[in-house]
Amino acid sequence: MTLTRRVIVCLDVTGDRVVKGVRFANLEDVGDPVVLAARYEAEGADEIVFLDVSASIERRNTLLDCVRRTAEALFIPLTVGGGVRSVGDAAAALRAGADKIGVNSAAVARPALLTEMSRQFGAQCVVASIDAKRRASGWEVYVRGGSTPTGLDALAWARECSERGAGEILLTSIDRDGTRSGYDLELTDTIARAVSVPVIASGGAGSGADVRDALLRTAADAALVAGIVHDGSVTVNMIKMELQTANIATRAAA
Amino acid sequence: MRATIFDYGAGNLHSLAKALATDGVALRTETDPLAALDTDVLVLPGVGNFAVAAERLAGARDAMRDAILSGLPTLGVCLGMQLLFDESDEGPGRGLGVIPGRVTALDAARAPQIGWNSIEAMGDPLFETAPLTMAYYANGFACRPDDDDFVIAWSTHETDRFPAAVRCGQTLGVQFHPEKSSAAGVRFVRAFLQEATR
Repeated sequence: MTLTRRVIVCLDVTGDRVVKGVRFANLEDVGDPVVLAARYEAEGADEIVFLDVSASIERRNTLLDCVRRTAEALFIPLTVGGGVRSVGDAAAALRAGADKIGVNSAAVARPALLTEMSRQFGAQCVVASIDAKRRASGWEVYVRGGSTPTGLDALAWARECSERGAGEILLTSIDRDGTRSGYDLELTDTIARAVSVPVIASGGAGSGADVRDALLRTAADAALVAGIVHDGSVTVNMIKMELQTANIATRAAA
Repeated sequence: MRATIFDYGAGNLHSLAKALATDGVALRTETDPLAALDTDVLVLPGVGNFAVAAERLAGARDAMRDAILSGLPTLGVCLGMQLLFDESDEGPGRGLGVIPGRVTALDAARAPQIGWNSIEAMGDPLFETAPLTMAYYANGFACRPDDDDFVIAWSTHETDRFPAAVRCGQTLGVQFHPEKSSAAGVRFVRAFLQEATR
């Protein structure tokens, strides 16, 4: 046997609620993160990602409290991302119970942050979150929740993140995010083959078959799902069964 | 029973503390390595960097080594397991040298290894009491004991077969994170505590 491919559930959180929407737009309340995270662990989720989509400082403080309460009930890894700007922010999230920290815009603004975090907490703790959008040739990195182009080539940036100390890359296709039309397999495979650290495919999952395809047809280590499990159109367990049918090494539900 | 987590700096000890918190266990976290030895069970957690941890240990290294070799039940998790060995390629500094051997990088195209991997148990009673067929890993390095007799379970990442768990008397080192391995992992930690009280 070998390392299994992971199914990771993402909770977009604002304040103390999980919301659903295409990133910052049309947010719809889908539940309590503490309850949802525990449910997904029981269904066989391999990890949970907490993505802070709050706009305000007050809500961010509420979020750390929410991380604390969620971590309290969880015995699988928890990644916290969104709004992390410094080693201090990362330390605060770790103290609240996060196992890994996702950084996105702040790493683009100051790439040395990845190295600082890696030295302080270890590479396995640092997740470089990259939002990429297809352009004429290749893909471009966007920041601020996918709203602001950076001019950076996603492939080159992914390599740089890995070299600077990120232990994992969470790769979201902006084109596919929220569309439920399947992951961007070409983007995912291109990046996953170009770096030595694990890559998490994100954006576009509409069914268990999409997750299967992302893990069968690309070199990604893991796939992230959100909306499809929140609205109950599929459970983590059903996705895992789909993977097993396709002979993809995966961890069975607890 | 008193259980003590030696906290050598950065990182999240919540899950480990939760897994250890069970009826009859008085748990504390201690940043002073000498004070941490005043306990019935010592826990070396799994976060950070070898060199940083070895430095934090330096003044108390011999005392901790003697305590463990004299029978203080100790659980080393991930980096905590690696500290039971002599040295590491991750950085300078001396480990505890409880188990002879070195810590070296995983020999794999994809590293660090992050995720769930299978455990191949070799018949140790702890794995009989609390079966663990799969566990969560987050490691770029692995322990290479001089003598494979210390190894009570193996895992394989790509082509690198490495010790998932080692035992030296009452002391156990695990490369995986039982506290992140869902219900079966928590049962494993509690089985270790039960064994330590006997």
